[in-house]
Amino acid sequence: MNILMLVATNTPFNYFPVVLQLVVAVGFVVVMMAATHLLGPKRRTKDKLINFESGIPAIGNARQPMGIKYFLVAILFVLFDVEVIFFYPYAVNFKSLGLEGFYAVLLFVAFFFCGFYYIIKKGALEWED
Amino acid sequence: MKAIIAATILGIVMMFAGLQMKNKSSVVTLAIVLAFLLLGVNIWDLVATPATAPVGYFNNMLRIDRYALWFSTLMTGVTVLYTLLVGKEIQKVGVHVAEYFALIFFILCGVYILSCYNNMLMLFLGIEILSIPQYILAGSDKKNLKSSEASLKYFLMGAFSTGILLMGITLLYGATGSFNIVAYSFLQSDALNPLALGGVIFVMIALGFKVSAAPMHMWTPDVYDGSPTPFTAYMATVVKASAFFAFIRLFQVSFGSISSQWTVVLSVITAATLLIGNLTAVFQQSVKRMLSYSSIAQAGFMLFAVLAVNAVAWQGIIIYAVAYSIATIGIFTVLMKLKDYTYDGFNGLAKKEPLLAFVTTIFLFSLAGIPLTGGFMAKYYVIQAVMVQNQFLWLVIFGLLMAAISVYYYFRVIIAMYFKEGNAELHAPVTQGEKVLLVITCGLVILIGIFPQLLLSWI
Repeated sequence: MNILMLVATNTPFNYFPVVLQLVVAVGFVVVMMAATHLLGPKRRTKDKLINFESGIPAIGNARQPMGIKYFLVAILFVLFDVEVIFFYPYAVNFKSLGLEGFYAVLLFVAFFFCGFYYIIKKGALEWED
Repeated sequence: MKAIIAATILGIVMMFAGLQMKNKSSVVTLAIVLAFLLLGVNIWDLVATPATAPVGYFNNMLRIDRYALWFSTLMTGVTVLYTLLVGKEIQKVGVHVAEYFALIFFILCGVYILSCYNNMLMLFLGIEILSIPQYILAGSDKKNLKSSEASLKYFLMGAFSTGILLMGITLLYGATGSFNIVAYSFLQSDALNPLALGGVIFVMIALGFKVSAAPMHMWTPDVYDGSPTPFTAYMATVVKASAFFAFIRLFQVSFGSISSQWTVVLSVITAATLLIGNLTAVFQQSVKRMLSYSSIAQAGFMLFAVLAVNAVAWQGIIIYAVAYSIATIGIFTVLMKLKDYTYDGFNGLAKKEPLLAFVTTIFLFSLAGIPLTGGFMAKYYVIQAVMVQNQFLWLVIFGLLMAAISVYYYFRVIIAMYFKEGNAELHAPVTQGEKVLLVITCGLVILIGIFPQLLLSWI
């Protein structure tokens, strides 16, 4: 039985390579972790346990309140970025979609600008208070 | 289809109106006008679509039939009533009044999609459009910790249940190679693919979460209790009803032929929902929290309609959805007038505001299922649907027993209003207009109780 026959017939055996790969992937991680724990020497010093911050001593606590403004701008960026991604499939199918597709995208852009106008008017992008 | 487009556009109009209009009460007036407009569009759709021929849109991904149109119209009608009764209270929630109404219009868009979907992707889309505005509305009282907690809890649990829904859809697609819900109706019980069966169970769990059926009900009390009361009133009524309509549509159209495979599971879920909802409601001290448990209990009765695969079940779900929604919105309207949400807050309301106490009594009668109110007819129809199926007689008896328990906690409010001494404190005196509206709502509840056929005349 050659490899082509295996692919052509639809049996659970087709998934055997996937299982094999899974076993190898999980096994590799388990073996490596176990080996380093068992074979490596353990030296716990105070300096080793503190956080590494580019070589300079750590200052203060990282859990501080931060401005929500940054978060809002970041979210809006993600939102508009994702919307722009829709243009790529349109660009690929530009010719085949024809005029109807063009109108659909125009409508999409119109909604898109409605949202943009709304967030500007709402003052979501004003950095200063 | 016109209604879906209209709801979206009116939502956007509402958003932009919020930029221009600084006066909160004029925003509310605009919202009421737009809600009436949306009702008009729905009626136009209903009249223009021929009764016999369903119309398909987007490659038959949406299939608009009589049931869908009529259900959409009824839910829009309930929303109009809601904006009229609760509009003033929404003003008090926060500063972004126009946005709250915009989100309600977007929820309605989800309601319409859920009432006419013919494709699993549309079911997913509808559920998301329905849910995401709710996550925001639940957290709209930003300064209130409980509101934020409700929002976060609802969002995380909702996202998780959506994952389960998608898993179910994937399994069904793997088993049948189709997203079309009609394609699933050719599944056969005797030669059922385990993938398909797994898919059915996953979808059942996800939809059960949305309608707060036990044991997927854990989020309901905290979310309903924490959210601002006007939005709780909406979540517990229109949203829940339309999730039920989606539920029944899928399980009757698609999985009706394999009902022997899933009805046992669903009957256990129904019994658990009735038991947990009713028994836990008995021990509540806050009326708002009691109402959220009672909404779980009522969901148990609506599950009867899903369980019974026949035509009576469709009628039952429509009558139940409307009767329950109107009565619940009514009781929440009264609750919002009070300062204290505990049972003691109702003490002596009958002496102070006899009319308010009277309409509350009628709404509670309806929820408890006393004859001559809408709730009785609703329960009658769903139980009849199960009886016609001639299976699960034990569940019917159990349901009646639980309905008897529900009388206890509903009547505690009535006892507090009429027989206890006290001074029920109101936020503001009830105006003449509100009284008229409450009496009309009360009239609707009784009208459904006497002529339930009115709600079925269009299907």
